[in-house]
This record gives sequence, C-alpha cells and structure tokens, in this order.
Amino acid sequence: MSSRTNFIGAVEIGTSKITVLVGEYTGRELAIIGCGECSSRGVIKGSVVDYKAASECTHSALEQAERDAGERIEVVFLAQTGGHLEGFYNEASVSVKASDNLIDAGDIRTVCDLAKSKELPAGRMVVHNIRRPFRVDGRLVPGTPEHLVGQRLEVGYWTVHGQEQRLADNIHVIRGFNLEVRELVLASLAAGHMVTTPEERQHGVLAIDIGAGTTDFVLYRDGAPHTTGVVPVGGTHLTNDLSIGLRLTDGQAEKLKLRFGRANVQVRDKGQKVWLDGNFAIGDRQFPLLAIEQITAARTWELLEVVKKKLGNAFSSETCTAGVVLTGGSAKLAGVAETAAKVFGVPAHLGEAPTWVSENLRDPGFHTALGLLYYGVSTQAEKSAPARRGGGFLTGVRRLFAST
Amino acid sequence: MSVPLVNIPPTRSWRDIPQPVKPRTMSREGRWRLLTATLRVAGVVAVLGALGWAAWTVSEVVREDARKLPAVARAEPVRHLELITNGVLDQDWLRQALALPAKASLMELDLAQLRSRLLAHGQVNSATIERKFPDTLVAQLSERSPVVRVMTQSGAGESKAWLVARDGVVFDGVGFDPAMVATLPWLDGVTLRRRGDGFAPVAEIEAAANLLAKARWEAEHLYRTWMVVSLARLQSDREIEVRTKEGTLVVFTADGDYFMQLARLSSAWEKLAAAPTPPARIDLSLGREVSVAFAPAAGQPPAVAIAPRVPADRAFSFFSNPQPNPKRELQN
Repeated sequence: MSSRTNFIGAVEIGTSKITVLVGEYTGRELAIIGCGECSSRGVIKGSVVDYKAASECTHSALEQAERDAGERIEVVFLAQTGGHLEGFYNEASVSVKASDNLIDAGDIRTVCDLAKSKELPAGRMVVHNIRRPFRVDGRLVPGTPEHLVGQRLEVGYWTVHGQEQRLADNIHVIRGFNLEVRELVLASLAAGHMVTTPEERQHGVLAIDIGAGTTDFVLYRDGAPHTTGVVPVGGTHLTNDLSIGLRLTDGQAEKLKLRFGRANVQVRDKGQKVWLDGNFAIGDRQFPLLAIEQITAARTWELLEVVKKKLGNAFSSETCTAGVVLTGGSAKLAGVAETAAKVFGVPAHLGEAPTWVSENLRDPGFHTALGLLYYGVSTQAEKSAPARRGGGFLTGVRRLFAST
Repeated sequence: MSVPLVNIPPTRSWRDIPQPVKPRTMSREGRWRLLTATLRVAGVVAVLGALGWAAWTVSEVVREDARKLPAVARAEPVRHLELITNGVLDQDWLRQALALPAKASLMELDLAQLRSRLLAHGQVNSATIERKFPDTLVAQLSERSPVVRVMTQSGAGESKAWLVARDGVVFDGVGFDPAMVATLPWLDGVTLRRRGDGFAPVAEIEAAANLLAKARWEAEHLYRTWMVVSLARLQSDREIEVRTKEGTLVVFTADGDYFMQLARLSSAWEKLAAAPTPPARIDLSLGREVSVAFAPAAGQPPAVAIAPRVPADRAFSFFSNPQPNPKRELQN
C-alpha cells in the first residue's frame, strides 16, 4: 500500500450480523473512524446462500460505516469463514546449494515454493498459506534463515483452502458495492490476532471465536499460527437445541439463552424455574432453569470437544501453555471459560480487546473486524516492506501490536 | 541471487477470482460509486489534458520568441508607434494625439483612455489600440472623408474653414491635400452648434453628400463648377441649392433621382452655352421640366426659356457667398 492516507473497510459477513469497520491508515498509524452493523440475512454458517439478501445487508452496513466515518472506503479486507474451509500441512526441505553452506535468498524461495506447491482438488482455492518457522538442520529458526550456515533447510506451510464458488460469492457481494477486496483473511486469524498477545502466541495459545453459525479457531505455536479450523457449529445451534428441547420458537429460545444460558451447570435446585418474559403477560410461562443450563452446557461442551478433536495431535497442554482464549458473540455465554478449561485441560479466559480500543468497540462481536483491520494492514505492510527497504510503517504497525 | 531449479506447479489462489462485475449486478449505491469514480477519472484526465495543452502552448510561445515572456516581465518602455490607417493621418499626428508619458511601459498604458483621445478628433471614425510586445504600440484607425467645407467665424472675428464628413461630423482636417480640399464646395444654409471644442454633427447632410458624390463621379464637368451647396430649403421644400462659379443657382430636389437631374442639367447647360449671359437660375425640381431663369436687364422683365416662367423674385431670392458671412451667428 502506498504511504498516502487509505480508508480501509474491514467487513465480516457473519451468520447473525454483518460488521463493517472503517480504518484510516496514514502509513504510520491506523485509526478506527467508522462503524456499521446490520442484521444478517441470506447467510448460513458463514456462507452466502441468498446473494440478494446478503448483498442488501452488507451494503447497508457499508453505507452506515461510510456515513459514520464521513469518508469513502477505498479497499476492503474481508473476513472469511464457513464450513467449506479446510487446511492441511505440507513441508519441504532443500539442500543448501552454496559450497560454504551459507543459506541465501534463493534457497529460501525454493523451499517456500516447494512447500506451497501441493496441488489442490478441483474447485478449491488457496485462501492462506501460513508459514511455520524455518528449520536449519533440524534447528528451529524464529526469523529468516538467510546468511545462516547449514546443510538442510526445511519449512512447512499450513495451507487453508476453500471452495471457489463460496469464496467468489463473498467477493462479489463486496464488488456489488464497487469496492475492491484487497485481502481475504481467515476470521480465526483476525480474531486471534486481536485477543492474544505476542507472548501468548510465542508460548502457544488456542484462540476460539464462537460465532452464531460457525466456530473458528487458531492454534499459535512458536509465535506463529500453527493450525486453523472452522467448525460449522455456533450459538444458533444452542438456540436451536433450546427451541427443540423446551418447545419454543427460535426467538423465545434465543431470549432464554441470553438471559439464563450457561456453558456449565451451576444451579443446584432442580425445582428452580424462570419466567420466559417475566412480565406476567398472556403466554408467559415458566421453565426449569436446570433444563436450560443442561442443554446449553451440553452443547457448549460438545462444541469445544469438536474443536479439540479437529486439532488432534497439534494441541497438547505442553505446547499450549498460554491456554485458551475465547471470543466471539457466543463466548459471552456465562461459564464458557470454565468449560473450555475443563475440555482442554489448560487455563482459559475470555479474550479482551487491547486497552487502546475505544469502549464501544470492546464487545467480543467486534474482535474479528478489529483484528481483520490490523492483521490486513500488517500483512500488506509486510508485503510492501522489501520494496520500501525502510519498513517505517511496518515498524509502526508492529509497535501497535507490541503494545498488546 | 540464484534461480530455483525446481519446476513448481502454480496453485490457484483466491486472487485468481475475477473481481470485476457488471454494473447491472451492482446495487444502486454500487452503481453510483462506479459513476462517480468514472466521472472523477474523466475529470482528472480532462484537467491533465488542459494542463498539457497549456504547457504545450507556453512552450510554443517561448520557442517562437523566447524574448516575449521576459520582455513582459521587464515591461520595457514604448519605443515604437505603429499606425495603420485608411486615411491621411501620419505618425507625427498620432504621437501628438496620444501624448504618451515619457518612458511609459506597455503595461502601464491605459488603452481605453488612449483610444478616447484618438476618437476626440473628428477625423477619426474608429480606433483600436493594441500592445505588441516588447515595445510597440499599434493604432489602427478608420478615418472620415470630407464631402464639403464650411466656414465659421468666432466671436473674435477669426474665420476658419472646417470639413464636413458624410455623416455630418464637422472636423478640422489634418493631412489632406490642399488641392483636393479646394475642390470641395462650401456648405451653406445650416446652423452649427457648439459641442465641446468642436461642433455637433450637421443634420441631413447625407442628401447633399449623395448629390455631390453622384455629381463627382457621373458629371465631373458640372461638379467642378459648383461653389456652394445650400441646405437652407432642404427641410422645408426638400430642395438642395447649388451656386456655380458663374453665379447660376441650380435647384435640385432631394426626393428625385440625382442622376436624372444631373442629366437634365447637363443637357440644359449645353443648350444654354450659346446664351450671351449665363442663366441666373436653373430649377430641376419640377420633374421632367427644367426651369431656366436669366437675370433681367435693367428696366426689362426677366426672360424665361424652355420651361414655364419662374417668378423673378424666386430667381433671386437666394444668395450664397462662399466668403465668410459676417451676419451668421454661431449658436453655442
């Protein structure tokens, strides 16, 4: 990106709501200057199923954000989620060509290209290639291995890929507003970047973003993303279970979930009941609190178990010493951190936005959009850094994150 | 930097998804954004084009005469006066009329004021003045031509001859050939009114001017003999009276065809050539007939030839003298 002022839009097309943040990036610092939100329609489990409805909602949120910012968005960083996203790990190694075993840029480029070159099934497209740290003769190298001495250079990439049509649908929703999608960022990476600190990522941390339709997670090891994933289960499934179990409409079930739902069972009195509305109006009735807690807790436990299962061997309490950080709208369910701690066997806590984030954007629902903005800017900065040679604004962005 | 030797198949990225979409698939706001973006680009292109054209024009000017622009900046004093005219005025007159301040630069001159100075002279019909960098002032004039002369007398008793143009403007002729001026008839039967340093234009001079022009070109032998043209009876009787050198008074009608009247006069003049004395009056205002009156001898009634008799008193009712008339008073 150029050094002139850019107005960047971070767009998260979620299952329950669409969030747009407008960032003013001056080349040195990024300021959030506008926000727009709109209830989502035409989106199920993070995928666009009704183009027109989803477009209307997204464009409405974009308009609102532009009005709030008083500026026109120039480019968009778009969050990507959905059950169609999958990942795999591929690694490659090369022998250092130089006779003095000094690793040069050519060796690095070759091993990186090899590690990223795995062929994808038809109709699949790469969304992210997340590089893991280099290894020189089996020794971990946190930074670049250039000018180090070694015989064998290894690197691995966690490649996230998705279905081409689903990706195109999301992009075309934004293009319908005549905006360019500059960067497609995994929702888990965006949210994880916002709620974890560099120290936590270095020690190993699992960030889980529980949304309405999907649950995105990213496991950090050695300071970098190690594994990502998407589980097509979210808060709406808790609502759905309550609706079926207690014979309620979706709206009533959502209301009960928000008021009395818990991720762990806390009530001891089996006879304790709660009112649906609490206003004694016709149709208002009572439900056993224990039943509500049992349903939401069981579903939450199950959801976290699925995440743990998808992580497989990548996750262990030894490699994830910083624990689990939870975020997303559904992470506001009471007791979710305690449940996560029990499921994963490591400490868990709710993620919080950095202190410099303004009060009205500190809700977990904004973490993905915030992270999208900062992750996108830092990624763009890294891409343009070699050309600039100075890395001035890259340093600035890193300084921003360093303060987290 | 070494080149990788491995052949790596390209993997398809989300960036391979084509982003352009057709405007009809856009929302209303999207189309509006597209339109404004297009207009903005068009505006930028137009501005750049205009700037480019301006730069090219300036470069052309500089290339043609690189001294021009610096000369403007220096504002050199006026060194040359250039006169373009269709008349007889010359450089000296122009220099005197403009009365430019010493060492005045082109940019310091008030062209409107200079033009009004030129137009103050009645001989100048129209004038344009322009700067020609670096140091030349160009005056382009259109001059009036005289058709008659008129003699005036000031309160101090000084007589002065003026010229009268076709449009009635009375002016002090400058630069005209005296021989040419001497051929012009005198004007009589009009009242001159003061206006500033000069006189107000003479009304209804055009009828006489047409007659004089016709006579000059069609009957030059007659025109040469005309001494005085009087408009005294133009307004009342639509008659123009011409006094010849021989003392004959020729009466023309302003409503008739001058060419025919001149033809009759010429014919009558030929027939009267054998007469012992020139006729006192020839009246051409009677249509196809020409009335000729001779001055009566002492004790005899006036004789009339060719035409019906003309009353004697009419034959001598008008007298014009090309010499200044001391009785005429100028109305200020």
